[in-house]
Amino acid sequence: MKVTGLRITTYEHLMSRRMGDANSPSGRDMASTCIVEITTDEDLVGVAIGGGGAIPQIKSMFESLILGEDPRHVKGLWQRMIDRAFKAGNSGIITDAISVIDIALWDLKAKINQEPLWQTLGGSNIPVNSYASGMDMPQSNESVENWYKKMATKWGFTAGKLKVGLDQSADLERIGLMKSGLLNSTKNPILYIDANEYWSSKQAIRKVQEMEERFQIGWIEEPCRRWDYLGLKRVSDSIISPVCAGENLDSLDNFLPYFDHESADVIQVSAAMSGITGALQIADCAYGLELPVTLGGSFGNFHAQLAVCMPNFLTMEIQSVEPTDNVIATDIKIQNGKAVLGNQPGNGISINHDELEKISKSNPSTHRSLPSPFGRRPGAGLWEYLPTDEEKKAANRPLGTEIYVPPYGDV
Amino acid sequence: MKITGYRLEKYIYKIDRGLADANNPSGEDLSIGSLLFLETDEGVTGIAPAGNEKVQDLFKIIEGQDPRSVVWLWKKMDDFVFKGGNQGEAAAAISAIDVALWDLKAKINQEPLWQTLGARHGRTKAYASDIGYCMKDEDIYNFYSKMADNGVDAGKLKIGLSMEDDLRRIGIMKEALSKVRERPFLMVDVNEYWSPKNSIKLMNEIEKHYDIFWIEEPARRWDYRGLRKVSKSVKAAVATGENLNGISDVTSLITNYSVDIINIGVRQLGITGARQCANMAHAYELPVSMMNCQANYMAHLAAAIPNHVMMEVFGTPDREHVFKSWDNEIQDGFIVMGNSSGLGLEIDYDALRDLQNTDYGRIPNNSAPRRQGAGLEIKPLDENEVDWL
Repeated sequence: MKVTGLRITTYEHLMSRRMGDANSPSGRDMASTCIVEITTDEDLVGVAIGGGGAIPQIKSMFESLILGEDPRHVKGLWQRMIDRAFKAGNSGIITDAISVIDIALWDLKAKINQEPLWQTLGGSNIPVNSYASGMDMPQSNESVENWYKKMATKWGFTAGKLKVGLDQSADLERIGLMKSGLLNSTKNPILYIDANEYWSSKQAIRKVQEMEERFQIGWIEEPCRRWDYLGLKRVSDSIISPVCAGENLDSLDNFLPYFDHESADVIQVSAAMSGITGALQIADCAYGLELPVTLGGSFGNFHAQLAVCMPNFLTMEIQSVEPTDNVIATDIKIQNGKAVLGNQPGNGISINHDELEKISKSNPSTHRSLPSPFGRRPGAGLWEYLPTDEEKKAANRPLGTEIYVPPYGDV
Repeated sequence: MKITGYRLEKYIYKIDRGLADANNPSGEDLSIGSLLFLETDEGVTGIAPAGNEKVQDLFKIIEGQDPRSVVWLWKKMDDFVFKGGNQGEAAAAISAIDVALWDLKAKINQEPLWQTLGARHGRTKAYASDIGYCMKDEDIYNFYSKMADNGVDAGKLKIGLSMEDDLRRIGIMKEALSKVRERPFLMVDVNEYWSPKNSIKLMNEIEKHYDIFWIEEPARRWDYRGLRKVSKSVKAAVATGENLNGISDVTSLITNYSVDIINIGVRQLGITGARQCANMAHAYELPVSMMNCQANYMAHLAAAIPNHVMMEVFGTPDREHVFKSWDNEIQDGFIVMGNSSGLGLEIDYDALRDLQNTDYGRIPNNSAPRRQGAGLEIKPLDENEVDWL
């Protein structure tokens, strides 16, 4: 079997709810999606979603290293790509390209075996522990409570994650609202919080200690900058809750400072950063160090396929129970708060090409749909800069209307 | 597909010379062999050239399960033994089952295991290993020379009991391998016979004469401070790990900077466990080296490990009595695997029966005790121990 071609299609679509974090309290309502398909000489197509910002890199990696290769050799091909990028550095955009190709190759490998990816990877189809992640900084207090209530009653979630970081009083109140929403399904909800690198380490210690007086916190995610291994360690040493970090790291090598300095208590892995090959390496290393692993959110929640073969897997993020457009379908379902794997060959993602053709765009990444249209928000790492009136107003606009991007650096 | 049964076959086999190191310089030419067969409801059988009686307890964990879930089943087995301890015989039994499961997984896909594991090529670099403290100088030369004829440019010698003899024999190994490469990779192995300070003193002496790629087991496997001390005080890399039970043992060596190259082997780690150790080593930028095994079948995993340096080869086909074929050979210094399904091992059942019916008049002494003087003061070789003295 040989890889014969590459097809990249992009589109933009309206999300089902406004999403944002401490860096974007006004939120965004559009998403851009990049579908990467790798074709073979035997009609099988490998699918991955991601890499929208790395299209030239995907093409160049593909043409020079993947075309004509056997997709079953995916780990060797991953190493080829990593080694090719070595001088310029296998971080940032190039990792997005490597990851999305790696995911599509694994999809092919599983499809060749006519088995679901979890089976290819040696895992099992037990239900995968999951938590509901609202991405809810722009949501009103009422919406926060209602959303977690719905996730608890309709989908059985017993754990949730709230975006925090700008307004301590509001954060304290909203953690309580998330808890009361989740109390509909359990007596002891697990409450995760996420500051998206908005704080300095000492800010994090101050704020989380106050939260811990009122709540049991499941983890604090990214309490300070991702590369600040000393700051993360300091936070971990000073609070009761575990520190969770890693979702914006690029590959195994990026985790070395965390591992060697005990900077994170829960290792967060995202296949969009390191591919499936890289994610499994990181998980094995975390296992050696007795660190639990959690998986960041993914399109169609396909990460569940990896979870079942990570020896120290803890839980995974669910941002949307189902895909929010008509193009992508997934055979991973949510039941009783867990992700349930199916038996569809490959990674479980299928593409509706008729729908895709209707909405595909050559350049979908308008300012409204970029993953991070806002950049790092003013005040980050320095002091708590409360959401402005303009940001609050923008957060309340109906979906599909213009978004508000505050002027950078204007505080 | 479901696992329906297992069969464990044990046998004793003899090779044409003793296997010998610093703890047992006279060597032992008999070995106990095991074959574990895992049967399925679809007629495919998984084979591991390993296994012990502990398999019986563990089999209930995997009975009725799908062998393709091998990573998951490994975790279930590891968790099952956690109180009693996942070390020693238990680890060896888990490893054997794990290997047979991987063999099944690849056979179900009708592909060689190296491909199941995602390698791009079925090949990995080899180094020759004598395990032959008892061998005469000329036998040592002939052994490495034969390996060099297949392009092998790296060799490891068992040393530790006499500096004068060790230096001479390293030179013989070097000479034999020099026909492939002007500066062949030279490794030495003392099998935990030396204390850390002994290692530093003796390695510094050896390094006046030779450029040594690694020194293996220069202190006890758990002595992370001793190993670190040696690593800081010699030029060669410190290699260790072949007797460790899993990633839990490797962790303390890695995080204490005690090891420069990690020896991983199938006996206690299986394929799943060895891969975990390799991935952890990768994070710390440490190479791993695969330990020898019958028929070199662990080359399948080695080929799929990005940080694998070279694999120990003892000299096929000296220990492969029960195999009809094993689908790999040494070419240009690499173990090159073919495309047979699974591990590529075919059993010769007649040979197995013959071996099982052979009476050697004694049982193999595979677990020689640690030799007197180990870690203390080197006890000189005695004429009864080796006939080359």
